[in-house]
Amino acid sequence: MPSVSTQITWIVVGYAALVLVLAVVVAVRGAERPGWLDQMAWMLEVLLVVRALAGLGPLLGEDRPDSTSTYVGYLFASVCVLPIAMRSVQGDRAPWSSAVVAVAAVAVGVVAVRLQMTA
Amino acid sequence: MSAARRSGPHQVLLALYALFTLAAGARSLVQLTTQYDEAPVAYWLSLGAAVTYALGWYAIRTAAAGDTRFASVMLWVELGGVVTVGTLSLVVRDWFPDASVWSDYGIGYGFVPAILPVAGLLWLRRHSRSGLARN
Repeated sequence: MPSVSTQITWIVVGYAALVLVLAVVVAVRGAERPGWLDQMAWMLEVLLVVRALAGLGPLLGEDRPDSTSTYVGYLFASVCVLPIAMRSVQGDRAPWSSAVVAVAAVAVGVVAVRLQMTA
Repeated sequence: MSAARRSGPHQVLLALYALFTLAAGARSLVQLTTQYDEAPVAYWLSLGAAVTYALGWYAIRTAAAGDTRFASVMLWVELGGVVTVGTLSLVVRDWFPDASVWSDYGIGYGFVPAILPVAGLLWLRRHSRSGLARN
């Protein structure tokens, strides 16, 4: 059975894919960024924080990642990207702001996978 | 900056440039400090890519505000860098025992490094035209 970290990673990746699809749909339709997309993005951030907390395990245990600096970099990036993206579109609900959320969703999905690969 | 200027496709470009500045910068700094001897040329080129992305971010930001001069130079510099490093990585394999950000035209990042400056130049062209039309 996969480890807890692996399971959380796949939940994060699946949820990020969902946020990506919905953000792209909203942007393509040319609609204003809806409040529920923000809520979904912040829910994704909560999952990323949970993944990051689970990711502290390998750093504290004896079976450390091959490259600790790379691992810590991914750990840090995984929780920082989404808040920075949301901050950049704060007060702007134009359609293109949803595309920024889509880019952030792709980024955190990729970072989550890389984090898993370097653990 | 007006609301119309503030919102647009350049927001996506800015997000991608910020992301690649972070990714290329962190990657190159880690590699230069922990495994310098393995592929110094590739790691320095990755750092160069990170600086280019930071300048590209600034260039697009200033272009969105109305001054397109820096962006019209910077985006071509970036495209030239991707094409040159991508070609060198295929032709002179000995220089790249490890990959740089722009190796094989950015294959490690889904070719986004090759697409990004082209997308930026297309946006800049459209943006410049709309600016001329307004004036």
